[in-house]
Amino acid sequence: MKRDYMNRDAFSSSTTGSCTSSTGKAKMWPCDADDELFAALGYKVKPSDMASVAQKIEQLEEVMEQDGLSELASDTVHYNPSDLSSWLQSMISGLNPLPEFDSASDPFLESSTITSVDNSFDFGSDLISIPGKAVYPTTQHPPPPPQAKKLKTSSYGSPPSGVVFSNESISTESARPVVLVDSQENGIRLVHTLMACAEAVQQDNLKLAEALVKNIGFLAVSQPGAMRKVATYFAEALARRIYRLYPANPIQDTAFTDLLQMHFYETCPYIKFAHFTANQAILEAFAGKTRVHVIDFSMQQGMQWPALLQALALRPGGPPSFRLTGVGPPSHDNTDHLQEVGWKLAQLAETVNVEFEYRGFVANTLADLDASMFDVREGETVAVNSIFELHPLLARPGAIEKVLEVVHGLKPVILTVVEQEANHNGDVFLDRFTESLHYYSTLFDSLESCGGGGGCVGDGVVSDEDKVMSEVYLGRQICNVVACEGVDRVERHETLGQWRTRFGSAGFDPVHLGSNAYKQASMLLALFAGGDGYRVEENNGCLMLGWHTRPLIATSAWKLK
Amino acid sequence: MALANVFEKRANKFCINDNMDVLIEILKRLDDRSLGVAACVCRLWCGLTRNDSLWEHLCFRHLSPPQEGVRTVVLALGGYRRLYMVCVKPVLSRLRVGGAAAELERRVWTRHEVELSLSLFCVDYYERVLIGGGGGGRLGGDSAAPPSSLMFLCKAVNV
Repeated sequence: MKRDYMNRDAFSSSTTGSCTSSTGKAKMWPCDADDELFAALGYKVKPSDMASVAQKIEQLEEVMEQDGLSELASDTVHYNPSDLSSWLQSMISGLNPLPEFDSASDPFLESSTITSVDNSFDFGSDLISIPGKAVYPTTQHPPPPPQAKKLKTSSYGSPPSGVVFSNESISTESARPVVLVDSQENGIRLVHTLMACAEAVQQDNLKLAEALVKNIGFLAVSQPGAMRKVATYFAEALARRIYRLYPANPIQDTAFTDLLQMHFYETCPYIKFAHFTANQAILEAFAGKTRVHVIDFSMQQGMQWPALLQALALRPGGPPSFRLTGVGPPSHDNTDHLQEVGWKLAQLAETVNVEFEYRGFVANTLADLDASMFDVREGETVAVNSIFELHPLLARPGAIEKVLEVVHGLKPVILTVVEQEANHNGDVFLDRFTESLHYYSTLFDSLESCGGGGGCVGDGVVSDEDKVMSEVYLGRQICNVVACEGVDRVERHETLGQWRTRFGSAGFDPVHLGSNAYKQASMLLALFAGGDGYRVEENNGCLMLGWHTRPLIATSAWKLK
Repeated sequence: MALANVFEKRANKFCINDNMDVLIEILKRLDDRSLGVAACVCRLWCGLTRNDSLWEHLCFRHLSPPQEGVRTVVLALGGYRRLYMVCVKPVLSRLRVGGAAAELERRVWTRHEVELSLSLFCVDYYERVLIGGGGGGRLGGDSAAPPSSLMFLCKAVNV
């Protein structure tokens, strides 16, 4: 009671955050005003709860006394920080019979059980902020029964090296409080700290967020491989958000972005998958046509088109006359990047004997385009292609509708779209954070299996550099999703379902990607080392590439209604 | 006397190098490794084994009928020998994990495998000749940097 008073006085400004708890599961949002003295010990208790906490302690003692467990009560030292209030509650309610006491006695696990019923990985249900200096107690009680404690992984089962939490039994040897260095435990704490930091940012509690972000770096170091990298990138992004050091607009640095994307292209199959499946759809749509025109919104290095040119060159009946219009951002050095790419493709086309014509358009954003610019000629069959270029349009209201209208006006026989399969465009920051944490963890996991090592037969250059560059490429996306807002936040990924609705209302009908595309994609993936981790899935005519059970990118094709 | 006999025997002895067509017929039936070994025998054999039509045969001997126009394209993109080494062999061996090496020879291509190999080959050409040649994106790489988009084919498969 005395302490209670002391702490109440110590508080200057305090906002009592809402504290929700659900029955059967301890749940506490780390609120702003935590008791400082308790926090030093590692407990997180709101001052407003102080009285009830004290009351509960008294209650608990009484109950324990009654059950003749006083010897245990005296041996009890600290229990894990954070959830003091509701833990006490659960102890009181769970004291009879004894086994439940055991299960309730380990509040860290009790309150950190991530519910396994829903399919989404519900980080948000458990927001225990664990300060790095927290005293992590070990209990004398036997390890809790596994079925009550298992932190189930979500339906996205990643391989053990990645973001998988399994509950190990906590050592019960010593009663003295020790800082746990077990890497798995640290992994859990790392994720929790990330989530808590995001939560703090969401609630605009920047002091707390700052403290937590420092801890993340500390915890991240102990992790192996993918987890460490992901945590580092997310920590950096959070730090940028907290300190308002927003990253430079990525659009300005197109040459570097292109370079990074090339390395990403080389290291893992995602972009290749995108190209091959889109090409297959376009090839099928062009069957029997003699004059074809492809409009590419994602020109970059033009890596998609050699394969299509070759396929057209070898198609039965001979190649059509092929016209390509490439759209790209302005380049900031004095080279005309788009024209160079066009020229190289022209050379290739000449090599394989395909009549080729090229035009490049520079545009800051796709919304600047107009149907009349493309000069669609009589008798031409048009296809429009976009690889990862539609989601940035969602940053400006009305842009996507305008672009789809323009595409509609071009009357294409097919529109091929490849986008990331994730919802990183929610309104709530925390949801975006959670989603992207999971998405990029999976991506980094897959990179781990692609990358470096594995002596190349006959070729000296090992792709460690590729791997690192790919990680930087992804890291920039992470930074954009987490740290930026408004017009700057261009990585506004949406799920296939959301895109379907959009295309539907813009006057497009889905085209089923055939079995050829599926087979080719499967074969392509089988060629990759670590290929057994990749999965091609068919989803209502669209193809999705994923890592284990988590789909990561989706290819879809559309035609006019 | 004995020497004359030897010379006589020599005169009647069949020398494969005098019968190039037979030699080529034999070489056509070899697998890639044997062709490599054959190339080490002498300069004549080395020249013969580098002949692209041998490799064409190796690539497509089980595919019937050979697709029209493929030859022009393949030759333009770098030739059958390169196609085999860079694409066909890795594709076949990867897609037949666990199969014995000898199986590769008797293996019949599927249409999809052919298409995939050709596509990859074309991408390889584009990258190697057109992008790489222009001083592409290899940071600090040696001037003879291999085509990188097919790098993944070079890595050992995790079996």
